[in-house]
Amino acid sequence: METMIKQKIKQVKKGDQAAFEDIVSFYQNKVYHICLRMIGNSYEAEDLAQEAFIRAYTNLHTFDERRKFSTWLYRIATNLSIDRIRKKKPDYHLDAEVKGTDGLDMYSQLAADQALPEEEVESLELQTYIHKEILALPPKYRSVIVLRYLDELALQEIAEVLDIPVGTVKTRVHRGREALRKRLRHV
Amino acid sequence: MNCRKEAITLMHKYLDGELNTEEERRLRDHLQSCPSCQSHFHELKRTTTLITNTSPVSAPPRFTANVMNSLPKQKKRRNYIR
Repeated sequence: METMIKQKIKQVKKGDQAAFEDIVSFYQNKVYHICLRMIGNSYEAEDLAQEAFIRAYTNLHTFDERRKFSTWLYRIATNLSIDRIRKKKPDYHLDAEVKGTDGLDMYSQLAADQALPEEEVESLELQTYIHKEILALPPKYRSVIVLRYLDELALQEIAEVLDIPVGTVKTRVHRGREALRKRLRHV
Repeated sequence: MNCRKEAITLMHKYLDGELNTEEERRLRDHLQSCPSCQSHFHELKRTTTLITNTSPVSAPPRFTANVMNSLPKQKKRRNYIR
């Protein structure tokens, strides 16, 4: 798949804008996922994810093709999300949650053919709760936890995405996990 | 073994798959004799299970099309400018 992506990147660099469509389509879920877990609100996540792809497109000439494209793309998405969080009032997320739009969107994220028996709803509530607890983490811990557990990236790759030493990633994963342990203990 | 300093660090190394055989043995021996670390370890493992088992997220419908429509318009190559 990396080969296909590399091929598409070459085409886009040569001026074939349409080739970018396959790149977006291939990475859209991952990028949207990172933005959603970082920002917690589906409208903003969509906006951020779109912006990430647009920036990737306009800056594609700076991408070094010897590197992994996903790492570069995730870095753009993570940086945009962190910038957005910084510009917000600290309690913004809590307000956004209360409005209830996000809860509604959680349900709409489910595949249409998926049934919703009682235990499914229960686990969905549990998931909403877990995501809320992840959102309650300070952004620097949130980003490593999102990349480590929701995207299952290796510590070294997280270091590359966030452009921080791998030792720092370890410390943040460690502290983030401890914080979540305390918050999820009673679940 | 100092629980707070050493054992908990080893637990996190375990969770990141970075324990060597010697450290693994030390952690195992310690856990067998320390109920408080045992419960800490259990909670950590449970936490990672909880945060790993979340359902995958899909981008909204028409996401790709929306991105493609928002890209800066390509300059038409004109070979015959008058």
